[in-house]
Amino acid sequence: MSGAHGLGRVAARRLALACLAGLFVSAGTAFAHHELAAKFDTSKTTTLAGIVTAVDWRNPHTHVFFNVKDKQGDASNWAIELDNTIVLEKSGWRADTLRAGDALTVRGHPARDGTRQISGDTVTQTATGQKVLFAKDTTPAPPKTPRATPRGPDGHPLLGGPDGYWGYPSSTVLVQNGAAVKMDADGLLANLADAPKVAPFQPWALGVYRHRQERQLRDDPMFLNCKPPGGVRYLQSPLGFQLIEDRVRQRVFVLIGSGNHNYRIVYLDGRKNVGQVRGDDDNPLYYGRGVGKWEGDTLVVETAGFNEDFWFTNGGLPHTNLLSMTERFSRPSFDTLHYEVRIDDPGAYTQPWSASWDLRWVDGQELPVFFCQENRS
Amino acid sequence: MQMLASSVLGRLVARASRVLAVALVATVAGAASTGALAQEGHPLKGSWLGTWESNAALGDNILLILDWDGKAITGMINPGTDNIPIAKASLDPKGWMVSLEADAKDKSGASVHYVIQGHIENLELPSRSIVGTWSSPGGKGAFEASRQ
Repeated sequence: MSGAHGLGRVAARRLALACLAGLFVSAGTAFAHHELAAKFDTSKTTTLAGIVTAVDWRNPHTHVFFNVKDKQGDASNWAIELDNTIVLEKSGWRADTLRAGDALTVRGHPARDGTRQISGDTVTQTATGQKVLFAKDTTPAPPKTPRATPRGPDGHPLLGGPDGYWGYPSSTVLVQNGAAVKMDADGLLANLADAPKVAPFQPWALGVYRHRQERQLRDDPMFLNCKPPGGVRYLQSPLGFQLIEDRVRQRVFVLIGSGNHNYRIVYLDGRKNVGQVRGDDDNPLYYGRGVGKWEGDTLVVETAGFNEDFWFTNGGLPHTNLLSMTERFSRPSFDTLHYEVRIDDPGAYTQPWSASWDLRWVDGQELPVFFCQENRS
Repeated sequence: MQMLASSVLGRLVARASRVLAVALVATVAGAASTGALAQEGHPLKGSWLGTWESNAALGDNILLILDWDGKAITGMINPGTDNIPIAKASLDPKGWMVSLEADAKDKSGASVHYVIQGHIENLELPSRSIVGTWSSPGGKGAFEASRQ
């Protein structure tokens, strides 16, 4: 009996501790995945030299730990934060590119909170002077001879292909056409006073946008909670997407490389966008509910029925469940997808507005394997 | 023997209940801390629970449901019991000032005008709060409600 009693206490304690541990884990990963400026002070640049002690090769960020000596010769351990493994591999990195004992010089931005962390914008082997990291996943050069738009039996352009996906968006931020606004790749404004130029905000929406910008986008639920990159956001992700046309079922599957490999469906079978508020309001979605039809060589998709649980763009532009989008997909050449979107959200904006950008065909490759949830473990 | 078994079973049930309670508290707290009840649209939209202190007519506790249709903030105080519709509401992004007005009925059926004024704290959190004061011809006091 006492044994059973004792076992019960242990089990009870373990369960309680497990619950509390879960609580701390859930509350403590706020900075696990983030926009660059949310964690690092991009207005400052620091250069450090040291010796590699360990490499943690993983998503969403790889970390290299290295010892840096001060003027007195005392060593302290620093963390270099690098991009995700997909970008690093595209830049020629491998898990064993750097090894313990390698001497490095690192140039990057220091952590905002003063901890010993630096973003690895440039990593150079001290002995040879060779740069071992290109921090950016650069767009490959276009083919010298443009390839013709592939077409299906019905004459419409094929939006997908047997091997490949769409990536390298020409813009990773959403700004209304014609606006000259300087911001970084994450959508962080260079000058907060430019905020009203980004889109025709209602006053509350401008206030929310400014608030998110003032906090360096650190509240982004895509990073904090792995919320899907809904709306147009996945279309501006370097991780890309695939368009799979199912002509028998009359729909297009959109396989999304960012987030957690979500998908959306665009229906081409003539169904209406049903629901109470501008779409499928009975079951509001992260990617909305899209119905499309061909207009010449352009697939025009009307999308509505969004929930309000996510940021629909990089940079933190707000939206409401009244958001609807008219999306226009065209393929002017084999290697280029042109995307235009008309944003209509009378809940957040004073008038409809539009934006457009191009994406590049990534030939012969499948979507990169990236799961936001790796960030949460 | 049967009494002993019953006693043991009772203790196990009691222990299981305590463990379950701990788990529930941790789960609810964890959900709140991770933004499980996300709302990234209009800051006032949602369900709010809190207190309007010293409200002798309606009690200290208040439940508020607010919505945004793109033009106006609408809502109701204590739906299901007092059913007091929000008659006028505003949100000023400068300081995130909130103003809510509603007309309730007292026991005699006479109209009682309530005004809630405050500001939003922790705007970035799904569990943001409205903190301020309430007033009516019959009283006034502190007001605080958190989005659920």
